[in-house]
Amino acid sequence: MWKVIGGFVGGILFTALLGYQMMPSMMFTERLSPFDMEETIARIQQNIQQAGNGWELSGLRNPARAVQKDGGNVLPVMMIEACSTKYSKPILNDDSVRFLSILMPCKVTVYKKNDGKTYIGTMNAGLMGKMFGPLVGEVMGHVADDQKKFVVFDPSKPAPKMIEGVPGGEGKGGAGGGGGGGC
Amino acid sequence: MFNRRAVSTLMLAAGAALAAVAAWAASAPASTPAAQSAPVAGAHPYAPTNGAPAAPKPVSTSTADHSKFKELQRPFASGPEVTKACLSCHTEAAKQVMRTKHWTWEFMNPDSGQRLGKKNVINNFCTAVPSNYQFCTACHVGYGWKDANFDFSNQNAVDCLVCHDTTGKYRKLPGLAGHPPYKDMEFPPHSGKIVKAADLKMVAQNVGKTSRATCGACHFYGGGGDAVKHGDLDSSMTNPGKYLDIHMAKDGNNFTCGTCHATSSHDVPGSRYTPTAMPAKGAQMRGKKEEHANPATCEACHGSRPHPLTQAKLNDHTDTLACQTCHIPQFARGNVATKMVWDWSTAGKLDEKGKPIVIKDSAGRVAYDSKKGDFRYESHVIPDYIWFNGTVNYTLRDTKLNPDQVVKINSFEGSPTDGKSKIWPIKVFRGKQPYDKVSMSLLIPHTYGQDEAAFWSYFNWEKSLTAGMKAVNEKFSGQYGFVSTEMSWPITHMVAPKDDALKCTQCHSHHGRLQKVAGIYMPGRDANPYLNFLGWAAALLTFLGVLIHGALRIYLNRKGN
Repeated sequence: MWKVIGGFVGGILFTALLGYQMMPSMMFTERLSPFDMEETIARIQQNIQQAGNGWELSGLRNPARAVQKDGGNVLPVMMIEACSTKYSKPILNDDSVRFLSILMPCKVTVYKKNDGKTYIGTMNAGLMGKMFGPLVGEVMGHVADDQKKFVVFDPSKPAPKMIEGVPGGEGKGGAGGGGGGGC
Repeated sequence: MFNRRAVSTLMLAAGAALAAVAAWAASAPASTPAAQSAPVAGAHPYAPTNGAPAAPKPVSTSTADHSKFKELQRPFASGPEVTKACLSCHTEAAKQVMRTKHWTWEFMNPDSGQRLGKKNVINNFCTAVPSNYQFCTACHVGYGWKDANFDFSNQNAVDCLVCHDTTGKYRKLPGLAGHPPYKDMEFPPHSGKIVKAADLKMVAQNVGKTSRATCGACHFYGGGGDAVKHGDLDSSMTNPGKYLDIHMAKDGNNFTCGTCHATSSHDVPGSRYTPTAMPAKGAQMRGKKEEHANPATCEACHGSRPHPLTQAKLNDHTDTLACQTCHIPQFARGNVATKMVWDWSTAGKLDEKGKPIVIKDSAGRVAYDSKKGDFRYESHVIPDYIWFNGTVNYTLRDTKLNPDQVVKINSFEGSPTDGKSKIWPIKVFRGKQPYDKVSMSLLIPHTYGQDEAAFWSYFNWEKSLTAGMKAVNEKFSGQYGFVSTEMSWPITHMVAPKDDALKCTQCHSHHGRLQKVAGIYMPGRDANPYLNFLGWAAALLTFLGVLIHGALRIYLNRKGN
């Protein structure tokens, strides 16, 4: 009998360990960009503007600049912020899940790594939404679907201009809030 | 009845399967290389402007106030008039300047025997000075070099102000043969921007020591614009923060260029034509005469074992690594992207009205210009790393080239075994430029001017190349092509704070920074397959030995019972 219980507990522990190991890649995704930083950002911004469903750019932030101001160096990293009132409104209207406003606005990060290449980081909104009940799960499922479109590129199209002065985001960096643009 | 062992095994397997399904259901690849090809960023706006913003003016410690000098109390109509006034007191200054590369734009390399200097080399960005003197000599420390007949013996043609201006108002524009504008003029042409005439009296009365702004007025804009040529010198270095350059930081040590490039008799040490790859051991006493000593090296101040005892292992690296390799983790870190590629082969495309085209990239930089071709830019660039012993060989006008191979405009010599080399970070500037298909040598394009051979005015390669080669009395067959070229630049500025130096594992790892550097064994990067085999075999045999030993103990124990 003890061996049965031991096997069960062992299975649970193994599953938990595996989940712990895999959680980062499940909750967040990272993909290589075929473009440099600015063009990647510009193409994602263009995709967001063309995504429909109420999506609007709400900021472009440069967390690396705050580090520079403090006298240090990090490789370039930029956060594109976007929001859709179509998706934010139902969540913000429900007191039980209003705390999820902390996830707003939606962010896509573009950054360079030590291999000299540009990467795109996104959150797995679909999986995260499933943890908070049917309403959030459904909304975040739609967000996840749209998010996938943000990072689909057509290299045959000319590079658009990066938008720096979007509402709510100073584009020049630093931390701090900034609403506008749909949220 | 179920076997208990089988049940526990099943439970374990079920748990694992559950985890696997969850992972599969939610997984997205952590790193998905995109299948699309990689176009890159473009270029920067039409540039050559020598007006870098002036650094904040420090309180003068000079014993002379030039605004009180009688010789400088009158209006000046031209730069040479100012120089004449300067030389009335500084009688030897022009003679000193005239002995330097800043004046001659010529350097005879005693080791290679190559005649170098801006006057002679062909580079792969703005290409060559001959036939374009009037434009390029905006960065000459002289006045009036508009053609090959410039009088290099005229002391009044030395430009004192370009290096000693402290006002930030003195600006030499391309196209004026090294003169500043003496009347208001539109620059760049057709831009609607007016550059005011130089107030020579005011500038002359405010001369002082050189500064980051005065040196940078040319060296930050080398190659025709901000951050074009060098990856570690651009306008962000005029007033850098600590993150960008720990020595020159305006709120830190506030070094000027001259702090390291300690100048004597107007001769500035630290030439790129004869770089010091492996400086003398130990720090150098300022003022002490040492043969081949270069005060512009890191070791000249920091010595060859600069790290504290708590980091003594780092001192074991200084025989092999240039300080810059670890302490300049990336170049172009000042938020000004440096030009990495210049493709002249695409220059000359015009729109349907026959007008030149300018196309900008996502960052608003010029990606294509009919005058110059295609550009690519990058910021925060991870350097290439090479063995370098200080010897640089150039591909000159008369060097035969193979158009099927990438032509190295300059080749850096070095090896792990010559005892003179260290591993250095470099910027590799890539491009395509014209060559003569018959003589198999590089060609000089005539770019600037109003004449019909000037490429920037009439976009005719054949006429441009004919005029360019005629300017150096060389023949052009009339048949030209474009060859891929590379030019390397040692990276030595933009020294990061020590906390931002490379970490051990950034080199001591597979696919680390020094992955392509051959000739040394690096733990973490390299492995000997035979040694690895022996090691793993020993580990396996040990494991088997333990198993067999244990099994025998159990077996013999049971048998004994």
